[in-house]
Amino acid sequence: MFGFMDYVQHAFYNATHWNHDNSYANLTATAQSLLNFDIPRGLRLHVSSLSAPNFATSYTLGSVGVVDGSISYLYSSLQLRAPSKSGEIDLRNVIRGYRHSRELRAPDNPYWWETWQRGKRTDRRDALLYGRLYLPRSTLEALYLRRISPTRQLKVSAVSDSTLANGGTVLAVLQNDYGKYSTEYLYSTDSGLLGVRGLYNFGPDPRHTPKLPPALEALQEPVVGRFSAGAELYYGLLNKSGGVSTGVRFTTLPRHTGFPYTMTVTLNPLMGNLSSTYAVKAGQNLALCSRFDFNFYSYESDLQLGMELWRRRQPSPAESDVEWATRLIRPGWKTASGTIGDPNPDVAGVLKTRVDQNWRIGVLWEGRIKELLFSLGVSFDLRRREQIFRAVGVELQYSS
Amino acid sequence: MAFNFNWSPLIADTSRARDMLTSALNKSPKPPIIVDDIIVTELNLGSTPPELEILEIGDLAEDRFRGIFKMSYTGDAFLTLKTRVQANPLNTYLSTKPSFASPQPLAAASGLTIPLQITLSDIRLSGFVILVFSRQKGLTIVFRNDPLESLKVSSTFDSIPFVRDYLQKEIEGQLRLLFMEDLPAILHRLSLQMFVPDYAEPEVNKETSERLQGPDEAVAPIDPLASPPQNPVDWTGDEEMRPFSLESSETHATFSQKNLLRLAALTESHRTLSLFTPSIRDTVFRAWAGAATGEYGEHTTGVQTPSYAALSLSRVNSSIGTLSSAASVSSKAASDSEVTSSRPSLVSYASTGSMGAPRSRTTNTRKRKKRVINLRRDKDGSESASSEGSRTTTSTPAPSVRGSSAPSVIAEEPEREQEEDLATPPRSPKVRFQSGGDSIDQDIDVTPRLRPTSNNETPPTYESSRTDFAPDVKSSKQPSLQPAPPLRSTKSSTYMPPHSHSPFPSNYPSTSPLFRSFSNSSLASTSAGSTSDTYSFGESSGGILEQAWMQKMAAEIARKVRDEKAALAFRERNVRAEPPPPAYGV
Repeated sequence: MFGFMDYVQHAFYNATHWNHDNSYANLTATAQSLLNFDIPRGLRLHVSSLSAPNFATSYTLGSVGVVDGSISYLYSSLQLRAPSKSGEIDLRNVIRGYRHSRELRAPDNPYWWETWQRGKRTDRRDALLYGRLYLPRSTLEALYLRRISPTRQLKVSAVSDSTLANGGTVLAVLQNDYGKYSTEYLYSTDSGLLGVRGLYNFGPDPRHTPKLPPALEALQEPVVGRFSAGAELYYGLLNKSGGVSTGVRFTTLPRHTGFPYTMTVTLNPLMGNLSSTYAVKAGQNLALCSRFDFNFYSYESDLQLGMELWRRRQPSPAESDVEWATRLIRPGWKTASGTIGDPNPDVAGVLKTRVDQNWRIGVLWEGRIKELLFSLGVSFDLRRREQIFRAVGVELQYSS
Repeated sequence: MAFNFNWSPLIADTSRARDMLTSALNKSPKPPIIVDDIIVTELNLGSTPPELEILEIGDLAEDRFRGIFKMSYTGDAFLTLKTRVQANPLNTYLSTKPSFASPQPLAAASGLTIPLQITLSDIRLSGFVILVFSRQKGLTIVFRNDPLESLKVSSTFDSIPFVRDYLQKEIEGQLRLLFMEDLPAILHRLSLQMFVPDYAEPEVNKETSERLQGPDEAVAPIDPLASPPQNPVDWTGDEEMRPFSLESSETHATFSQKNLLRLAALTESHRTLSLFTPSIRDTVFRAWAGAATGEYGEHTTGVQTPSYAALSLSRVNSSIGTLSSAASVSSKAASDSEVTSSRPSLVSYASTGSMGAPRSRTTNTRKRKKRVINLRRDKDGSESASSEGSRTTTSTPAPSVRGSSAPSVIAEEPEREQEEDLATPPRSPKVRFQSGGDSIDQDIDVTPRLRPTSNNETPPTYESSRTDFAPDVKSSKQPSLQPAPPLRSTKSSTYMPPHSHSPFPSNYPSTSPLFRSFSNSSLASTSAGSTSDTYSFGESSGGILEQAWMQKMAAEIARKVRDEKAALAFRERNVRAEPPPPAYGV
């Protein structure tokens, strides 16, 4: 589950029309959310508030043997209108599951952003500032996010910690998203790491959609899937070491009539690592995912399986009485309890499990009780009979 | 002398050593590049033993040894390690960084673990080894220089020259560190585990048996405190006691449990008026005070006074014991009222002696120190009431309550002070008062003051000592001896106010300045009330204890008189040779 600050940060992405998923770093986002979900440890409480449309605060108190906590503040120059009450937040926005790829969208025209007043341009670039202080450790996290242009975003994140070499590290990422393709350039002060990432989407370019007459458009075969390819390259200036990887992905689009699925293959030619994932949304409430890793230098392999099961909100007795009626009403009809025929009705929770070939099992249940968002996680290790429970944790979030 | 090193059993079975090495290597957090346990697969110490050349043996006894060796090793020992390493540098680099500012690569950081086997062979060592062993402190081995001369590292990556050189360099550095720092620490810990529990057991037994010994054996033939350990072990065998050294300024915080126990026994016995006295080493009991002073007469002459810092420290030490022992001593001493003058000094004296034991100085040093403390306190207190004549009245109360042994103590106190004074003349505040008068005046002072003391009230037994003592002082009429009398008077005037109801005004020196007589009379008036109480109490409780003590003191004094005679004669000679103290030169 996202923290509140991540939720607000994604609200900022949405408000500035930034497609966070159109990046090589998020090529395997579906598999990550189905297989590599975080299991909380110990007890953790978050109290957050979007006190003003521009300002958010969050306090965290945790206890894993010792009590620790963090204080974070967020400022956004753009007013964020996302629902902030934990009773109102859509769970699908804070719980990452199977990711439906959206239709690619052309970047905004630059002149849409312009505001003129008395012959002068008065618009500003939207920016987001975020800071978080971990208290007993005295670790400081800072983030500066700025939409430089409709196709460009600068992200500078820094960590200050006395235990780190040089007292901290700064990472600057310049992201370009042109819809059809996206590039990222990054630099980390730690060992002078330089990096380039790129992703190219095959298929029609959203920026130059030919205007076809409706008759012809109906005749054209609809695009039901998207094929993407990308690569990344890193080089550490100080330690003279590098890394490279490349990957492809095929994912179905919402227009696809069958069950949605996503396939990725990533390859690290230097280290001989090959990883393939296959995720499928088997039903309205169920998604399955598998990943197979193989190293053709060391012949090591790994297999992981994951599953997520969404639990719908139970229809109230009053609604069940009129169920026959709702079936007759055309989709899209808005009622007090939601939209009729909405493919994504409100959910009450999700159960995620994963298991790997070493019989390490992780179970996570996330949902909402009254006004609280909670996530409850357990991880087992069946190989170790004497200590089966590896970690147990509860996380509670309240925001207003 | 020869040492016999048996090398063959060491090379017979190395499986245990291998296990120990494996667990030792995996105990500390490993660098992120090592992703698996480090397993020692082979360990062979070789057939060639190291050559040891004895350069110096500093200390050799049954339970301790200190020596310097020259060691050289050119044997055929080898060691094989097995582990798995992470070959992706990006993976190891990112694993130590916070995720918030990490680039979070998609697959560039995927790991590649490679099994690694390292063999260390052809180890050449040469260096100087300092070996210190004591049963109490364990074994300490220090390499004076870097013993590692050369080493051959062969690994799975020998075909890649870059990796080979890197491994060679890294492992050599690690081994140097191991020899210089880790190995001595490990050996020391192991030896402590072996020896210290054995050591703690007999210590307790010895301690209990000591307590049961009679006072006759109080002075042990061998003083273990004469050469104190740097790290005294608690009687519980607790090695974790805080570090404790002779030079430490916080000695008062760490009393030995043994001594505390003994002191508790002492106070308990005094409280119950029991005749049993536990033996406490390096302690001067009140009953032996005379004997002790006799010794001082010889020892302290010409010895420098301990520094003031040491004094204050020892007083802090005594602070705990003073409460209990003061009560006990006073209950004893209350019988003889005159003794009161010397009592305060004795109280602190005994208590300090016993409490000072853990500080483990030799007996003489401690006693000397204590006496100086008394002196100081006197001076401080006597700044206001400083009459020379009061001393005389102090030691000669008119209704002298039967012939108690107390006067002898008094007689000694001044003498001790006198000796003390010789050691530290310029510190006496009295000097300032007297400096106004000429030297002849002071000479006159000395004589009459002592005369009546001995003639008037002392029993015949002490008469001899008194008279012997007085003429000695008198005869030494050199100006250099002048410091003695004023100080004596200073001391008793502070301690003796209740008894200075001057029955012998005629004894006051006619030449004494006005302020002296004034202070005397004032003292007499203030003390009038309290005197009667003390006397009555003293008479009621005087009895067998006093008799016994008197007997003992009589014998003591006979011996002591001889000693003092010799000491005085010796001192005179010494003193004459020295130039007079500056304060009296006026």
